[in-house]
Amino acid sequence: MTIPFETLAQRHTVYAFCVVWLLQFGYGTWVAVHWFRERRS
Amino acid sequence: MLVLAFGFYKAMTAPTEATMGNLYRVFFYHFPHASESYIFPYLNCGASFLYLYWRSRNPARALAADAFAVASAEVTVLYTTLGLATGMLWGRAAWGIWWTWDARLTTYLLLWLLYVSYILLRRFSAPGQTALLSAVLAIFAAIDIPICYMSIRWWRTQHPAPVFGGGPDAGIDNAMWPAVLWNVAGWLMWGIFILGLRYSLERRRQARAAAATDDFLGTNPLPELQ
Repeated sequence: MTIPFETLAQRHTVYAFCVVWLLQFGYGTWVAVHWFRERRS
Repeated sequence: MLVLAFGFYKAMTAPTEATMGNLYRVFFYHFPHASESYIFPYLNCGASFLYLYWRSRNPARALAADAFAVASAEVTVLYTTLGLATGMLWGRAAWGIWWTWDARLTTYLLLWLLYVSYILLRRFSAPGQTALLSAVLAIFAAIDIPICYMSIRWWRTQHPAPVFGGGPDAGIDNAMWPAVLWNVAGWLMWGIFILGLRYSLERRRQARAAAATDDFLGTNPLPELQ
């Protein structure tokens, strides 16, 4: 199962994917960190 | 995470579109975020109604509804931000412009602004009034959802006509369906997971605040939260 990375040749597609990952996993990490902190306190 | 990873793989390996080439692959991330950004505001609206209903009848349940409203509003902002961002990137490459004031884009921007206002209201309003004011705002904000959803059916827009359910000429090639469905499922599951985690965080904060009030007053106004 290999990903043909030439399908990412269009830079706007790469930007869109990166924005989604950064915001989704960034927010997810923020919530998780606060959840663990709150549980400990 | 596995579903999201497989969704990414499917998005990369789906056949290339005839007119837009590889640029159309933005669709596999734009569509799930834009469509799911209509679900979370309804959850926010429902929780706000429940908050108003339980406010004087059952304060403990009202607090739970308020926590759910906060969580769903934040997830709404997240999903609408990504719907806007991916749409703008796609528009820049496909149309040559970042933005146009057509009915779909304008009502969607309004949806984003309404939920950003909701977050700001919660952050900066006077303590004691926050939950009530934000519940009322949430109910008004939900009016924009059907208008935004129907905008591409009611008016001529730069935004394309509906891909799904848009008549005989609408739709996608059968080979593209797995990529759409895996990404819709993946981002929906992720959204529900984040919503649950954020709700749990808000409930813990409420419990801590109730305990602090209890310490201060020497009473426990909300024993259910302990």
